Amino acid sequence: MTEIKNAHFTTLKGAYDTEKMDATLRVRRYDPETKKSRFDTFTVTIPVTASVLDALDAIKDIHDGSLSYRKSCRMAVCGSCGMRVDGGAALACKTPMKKFVDAGHTITVSPMGNLPVIKDLVVDMAPFWQKIRAVKPYLDTLDVDVPAKEWRVAPEDGDLIHKESLCILCGCCVSECNSMESDPEFLGPAALAKAYRFIGDSRDKDTRERLRDLNGAHGIWDCTRCYFCNQRCPKHVDPRDAIAKLGAESFKEGFTRDEGAKHAKVFVDSTYKGGYLRETELVPKTIGPINAIKDIPFALQLARAGKIPNPLSPHKAKDNDEVKRLWKLLEKEAKGQPRRATAKHPDAVQGD
Amino acid sequence: MIRHDVIVLGAGLAGMRAAIEAKRAGVDVAVISKLHPTRSHSGAAEGGINAALGNATEDSPESHAFDTVKGSDYLGDQDAIEIFAREAPDDIYELEHMGAIFTRAADGKLAQRPFGAAGAPRTIYSADITGHVLIHVLYEQLVKHDIKVYEEFFATQVVVDGGQCAGVIAWDTQRGGLHAIQANHVILATGGVGRMYYGTTNAFACTGDGMSLAWNAGVALKDMEFLQFHPTTLKSNGVLITEGCRGEGGYLRNKDGDRFMVGDAPNAMELASRDVVSRAEWKEIADGRGVDGCVLLDLTHLGWKKLQSRLPGSRELAMDYAGVDPIQQPIPVRPGAHYMMGGVDCDLWGETRVPGLWAAGEVACISIHGANRLGGNSLMETIVFGRRAGQAAAERVKEQGDTGARIEASVLADEDRRIAGIVGNSEGERPGALREELAKTMYDKAGVYRTEAALAECQDKVLELRERAKTLKIDDHGSIFNTDLTQALELNSLLECADCLVTSALARKESRGAHSRLDFTERDDDTWLKHTLNWNDNGQVRLDYKPVTITKHQPLARSY
Repeated sequence: MTEIKNAHFTTLKGAYDTEKMDATLRVRRYDPETKKSRFDTFTVTIPVTASVLDALDAIKDIHDGSLSYRKSCRMAVCGSCGMRVDGGAALACKTPMKKFVDAGHTITVSPMGNLPVIKDLVVDMAPFWQKIRAVKPYLDTLDVDVPAKEWRVAPEDGDLIHKESLCILCGCCVSECNSMESDPEFLGPAALAKAYRFIGDSRDKDTRERLRDLNGAHGIWDCTRCYFCNQRCPKHVDPRDAIAKLGAESFKEGFTRDEGAKHAKVFVDSTYKGGYLRETELVPKTIGPINAIKDIPFALQLARAGKIPNPLSPHKAKDNDEVKRLWKLLEKEAKGQPRRATAKHPDAVQGD
Repeated sequence: MIRHDVIVLGAGLAGMRAAIEAKRAGVDVAVISKLHPTRSHSGAAEGGINAALGNATEDSPESHAFDTVKGSDYLGDQDAIEIFAREAPDDIYELEHMGAIFTRAADGKLAQRPFGAAGAPRTIYSADITGHVLIHVLYEQLVKHDIKVYEEFFATQVVVDGGQCAGVIAWDTQRGGLHAIQANHVILATGGVGRMYYGTTNAFACTGDGMSLAWNAGVALKDMEFLQFHPTTLKSNGVLITEGCRGEGGYLRNKDGDRFMVGDAPNAMELASRDVVSRAEWKEIADGRGVDGCVLLDLTHLGWKKLQSRLPGSRELAMDYAGVDPIQQPIPVRPGAHYMMGGVDCDLWGETRVPGLWAAGEVACISIHGANRLGGNSLMETIVFGRRAGQAAAERVKEQGDTGARIEASVLADEDRRIAGIVGNSEGERPGALREELAKTMYDKAGVYRTEAALAECQDKVLELRERAKTLKIDDHGSIFNTDLTQALELNSLLECADCLVTSALARKESRGAHSRLDFTERDDDTWLKHTLNWNDNGQVRLDYKPVTITKHQPLARSY
């Protein structure tokens, strides 16, 4: 047999060489058959580059095959492996283990919040998907003639929905949503970011109807602005910012009747006029004079606890002109920002 | 009894596109997928999708077809490639109308970037998350069309009754329980099989389930020896760094800083075809000119602005999984198993030899990609041939009505016993251990460069593993979300596909595209310009061959 040139090419030496470390994890288990939960602790040997997901795989492949969790892409794009690491939602595949091992810290892994647990780290995502479906999650150009080729979209108009388009529907934001904890019907950060993805899309023509729906019960004004969704989103979608943009679009379209919208308006008007928020105005202008009167006993309770400032003080900033100058600056900045535009039909584009 | 006109198995791009088309045609279609649709691996595609729109420079479907034929090392079927290139532009416009968010040129048209071995900037893209954008737009359409999805159902068998497709038996992962889902038409769209390799870009879910289902239903797998290695993957976990990095001007360097592609592709350099670049890298590493088993993908000269606007996802992946910021440092990369050019043998509409059983996307081998796929062609294939399969299956339903093929109760009962047997077994080795042994065997013995000796060792090992996998240690004996069970089933698919791959590779005594033999270094058109077929002969792989369709382009020597 003739000697084969470069026979050493078949197998790469050292292909699996990697530095290893020992990591300890506490994992919440839930057995759907007995309906009992418990914590198990495992120590696994994993590469120094390993993620929390890699550590779970090491547990499953070597120690306990009955551990259940979802996974697929292991590169933070499929959205399967959302779970809580030390109490806050994260993608297991995007959370490196090394920093915990170096700190000598045993992490606790548990299922996402605000969703029912099926088994171990697996939650029932059905309520999540139902809310996504509730915001009409698809482009609607109404009955406008679709062009033969592509819609013309200026690059800067496309940028308007860039962040929202990054969403992988993993559910980490929903897991940590404060509003959803008290109102499970709240549409929630993921669905609302999805809604803005269409409202901000220059090709979509159903803006008004979409905003009307989002201004209803369990809609955008039920967000408490806790910003946990922004903090926990692994893809930089910033759902709370999307909700703020939906609020701004709602005002432009004249949807200002919701208590939440009124509340926002009082904030704006009051701070513009006086440089301060006049809290005595806030309640009646948000919920109306009759409801405000009904709330007087509650207000007195607050006053007794020292939680209401003197309602008779003028509440005006010393240098209110400076506040107004700041306002004008903000307005000018906002005008420089790209606004929601309309995609062009190629037939309407000159010289094409 | 659950029954639909058409069942689509798999909910990636090909599957969802097929389902949408069938639904529009007015038939009752349902999707079965082991994952929620947006979790499918199509979403991980980064660089883009090819169609000759001519937005950047002049281009034509003919030119797209020629580049694809040449890229395939002349093993692609040219009738299929012509359809593909011709129908691609309209499919792109339709995706745009559905709402896909593509990157735009200054004039508002779809931007197009250069990709490997393409004669023009032909790749439409959305920064470096094109697959993500497309999987979400098709899911949106799935919702819009109110298409039924059996989510997290794992198909264990495609049933053939009297020579006709009768439907699918599937395990309900969330609730437990095996179901017969009757349909005269089943479209396989289950994707690839990269997980048979250790270093792979593929998701955990890419285990060749559809290939195995078809093989066991009496359909041949075609050209399984042609497994593409992507030149730029991370060592730590195989994650893909897009070809778009090189399309935007990135360099490949060895440990001395040299752009080594000058040796093998002096004209195209880093943008040569993927098989060429992977071989050049492998050679550098094997000959000791690598860095920690990798070569270096250098993007530092592109500048912050370009990286942040065109390749932000790649930058984040490099920081998360390789610990380097490509603005400042090159990314260590090496070839990793990426794409199965082979797959289920089917015709130009995706139909297999079993009437009513169809295939589209990576699971299928139509064959567009032949011995080597061009970057950007796989996403386009899922859309063009997904649509065609959905359309053809729906038309057949309307023409033919009920074929009478049924899943008999006894077939379901037998399958139930088989699954119960797996779940009930506590003796043997764990699925994960065998999967790792298989993956390392394949990466070491059936990788970028192959020899008779290495492939023979590989085959022995694969056969041994198939024996050892007959009884697996299962810790989870429950029925709710039992991923111990699904991983055991996936291991079986991987092993069958690996057997087909290594048996085909051992037989093909030439070098063509991604199949590179150190003992047969030349392409041999006289003997080997033909497709390999792998038949299931009582569980053993039996080889056969069939001719390649050549229309316009006679085979020529291939250089870049």
